[in-house]
Amino acid sequence: MTEEPTPRLVLWGLTKTFGGVRALDRADFTIAPGEVHGLLGTNGSGKSTLIKVLSGFHAPDTGALEIDGRAVALPMPLGRSELHGLAFVHQNLGLLPEATVLENLIAGDHERLNAWWINWRAEAERARRLFADHHLDLSPSDTVADLSPVKRAQLAIVRAADRVQEHRSHGTPGTLVLDEPTPFLPQEDVRELFVMIRRLTARGVSIIFVSHDIDEVREVTDRSTVLRDGKVIGTFDTAKSSREDLVEAIVGRTVAVDRRVADVPSAAPAVALRGLQGDVLQDVSFSVRPGEILGLTGLIGAGHDEVSMLIAGARSALAGQVDIGGQTHDLCRMKPADSIAAGIALIPADRQRAGIALDLSLTENAMLPRIHGSLFINHRRNRDSTADLMRDFRVKATSPDQPAAELSGGNQQKLVLGKWLQLNPRLVLLDEPTQGIDVGAREEIYDHLLSLCASGTAVICATSEFEQLEIIAHRVLVFDRGRIKAELKGAEVTKASIATACYETAEEHA
Amino acid sequence: MHKSDPTYQLERFGLVIVWLAFIVLFGALRPDTFLTWSNFSTIFGSEAVLVIVTLGLIIPLTAGDFDLSIAQILTLVSMSVAILDARMDLPLALVLPIGLAIGALVGLMNGAIILYFRVHSLIVTLGVGTFLHGITLWIGNSQTISGVSPMLMEWVIIQRVFGVPIAFYYAIGLAVAIWYMLTYTAFGQQLLFTGRGREVGRLTGVAVDRVRLTAFVLSGLLGALAGILYTGTTGSANPSSGTFLLLPAFAAAFLGSTCIRPGRFNPWGSVIAVYFLVTGINGLSVLGFRTFVQDLFYGGALVLAVMISQLVSGRKDRGL
Repeated sequence: MTEEPTPRLVLWGLTKTFGGVRALDRADFTIAPGEVHGLLGTNGSGKSTLIKVLSGFHAPDTGALEIDGRAVALPMPLGRSELHGLAFVHQNLGLLPEATVLENLIAGDHERLNAWWINWRAEAERARRLFADHHLDLSPSDTVADLSPVKRAQLAIVRAADRVQEHRSHGTPGTLVLDEPTPFLPQEDVRELFVMIRRLTARGVSIIFVSHDIDEVREVTDRSTVLRDGKVIGTFDTAKSSREDLVEAIVGRTVAVDRRVADVPSAAPAVALRGLQGDVLQDVSFSVRPGEILGLTGLIGAGHDEVSMLIAGARSALAGQVDIGGQTHDLCRMKPADSIAAGIALIPADRQRAGIALDLSLTENAMLPRIHGSLFINHRRNRDSTADLMRDFRVKATSPDQPAAELSGGNQQKLVLGKWLQLNPRLVLLDEPTQGIDVGAREEIYDHLLSLCASGTAVICATSEFEQLEIIAHRVLVFDRGRIKAELKGAEVTKASIATACYETAEEHA
Repeated sequence: MHKSDPTYQLERFGLVIVWLAFIVLFGALRPDTFLTWSNFSTIFGSEAVLVIVTLGLIIPLTAGDFDLSIAQILTLVSMSVAILDARMDLPLALVLPIGLAIGALVGLMNGAIILYFRVHSLIVTLGVGTFLHGITLWIGNSQTISGVSPMLMEWVIIQRVFGVPIAFYYAIGLAVAIWYMLTYTAFGQQLLFTGRGREVGRLTGVAVDRVRLTAFVLSGLLGALAGILYTGTTGSANPSSGTFLLLPAFAAAFLGSTCIRPGRFNPWGSVIAVYFLVTGINGLSVLGFRTFVQDLFYGGALVLAVMISQLVSGRKDRGL
């Protein structure tokens, strides 16, 4: 498409550093009026940092922003982005389910509403006009919880559009940022959203469409920008680019990392999972051999992150069985206590809530699985055992009596690992085990996982960090919309091939 | 904050020090009335009921739940015991187990409603407490029932050991039992995780719902026991007896959590807090202040206690 004389929005030289890591590195970005502009990149490529700079959540280290030819000062004060014609729809949509469509529509519209009195009748009338104008079948009095997912998405988008359409301070339509609005929507509903997006651009609204789904990006966008490692790799004319071009730009030629695992000796499976069904997962079956680290990955909404919670009985599955230690367990009825008894250990992703009790001491946290039914807890012995465990797992702390909250994330995670590994489990389930953890602790956690393997324990590690899988996984299962779409083994387990498999569409599942 | 740290030791015994300071202060001002053994032995004996209610409260509090019905369990059981004993002439050996069973049953009901319908304990026990008060007024015809068997009074308030009524020793015995339970049993740790790291506990195999239910049954039982002792202390049951105990018990529970084992609800802290509060009120009334001083003192202490515990834990957002 031809470049308009005045771009809607221009970002120059945007740089943002988090603790020495460059999340954005001199990124330039231009949006034309009335275009749909895709923003593509893997986890950690910098796309969410870029969005958060626009919304005012992050202050960039350097960089300039210009909207409709006028310079806008950065950092953007939080909550002021609407004044500059910017509105955001995030993946969670930001709707209150218990409230009505109308209440959600006008929530936070301080600019227009009278602070002391809301004319509900006039507001409902205005909402009806707005919905008719956008060809939406929404009723102001409906409760949001009763709406279908696509209608909720439409409401969130029309609300954002309403805010920036109203923004007339310099007489131009605004920009909507749609941040992963589609991963939980069925295909036909995605089409419906695309129609809505096109109607908006016909009125001159610009759209930044953040997505992991290359096919959606190719379908709806005019141009797309690919970010990798904080840098802008390029801006593509979408119609003229093949999906291979885009995948290559997203994944890049990655430098090989040191793979720390070789082949697993062939043996009968230690764990076999059959017909697992959850909120997202559909009829998933696989098995893990003793001493094998099996990686599970996928893009947002793929369901790989659901597996460990279901196997550990942390949530009930809709269907599914697991064979472990010569016994079959029904995952619809599995409770955490049953899974522990079966030799399963879960190291959950949400460490602060589900991994460790921050108010309680290291000893209490570490010894909880061992005090079952005890009528006399020997505190001295528990303290000594915890001190031993802290030494073995190199947990840096001043004393076993310290509250867990005083430890760094890495040390907390090592303690959680120690708490579970002291039980000598048959199967260890890890969910994003290195999230928010420094590089040193990360390496130590890898060391522990590898020595676990050497002792014949089966390990399942769900993560969205492809590099981590290249380092430690013998085998990787790539998930898409609740199903396994690819299996990578041995030398195939590289960051690049995992990423390619993730971004590859599996036509039969679409 | 570690065991060797002197500020930690000061924090642990801060309340005891303030308590002793109160005694010295009131003793200096009114040595003849305040500083007498009969005054103190009366305080120790008569407040045993409040100690037991407080001990009952800290069990669900440790598990993260409030039992606002405990004071009305006390009143209902006190009234039931009086009616069964004085009006219906049933033997104490039958009446007392019935009283305890009522308490356990109410606790079971509290827990069942809270866990089955997933409603906040604050609301459920507030409603149940008021409901129980209604039952108490109904069965007691809104009147004080007296004439309970002297045997009960004998074993609650008349018998004395070292000059202190025996009820005091019951309360201390219970404090020992609860201290042991919270400190040395797996159930105590499970209560703690249920309150302070519920998801962590659940994923480590703690049956958190069963723990919470048990906590309510135990608080119901202790409420019932306090009711029996109340009847034994006064020789009668009046329909509003528990109403004035709920706030002091909460004040003592929270104040107690700032000492001995700071940051946790603990039985010795509770015992000390009860006697600290009662000493303060007794001292002020000896000085001539009137009854409003109770409300000032209990209400003030509750708010002060939660403020202190937030300061100690570094103003964490507890989402309450």
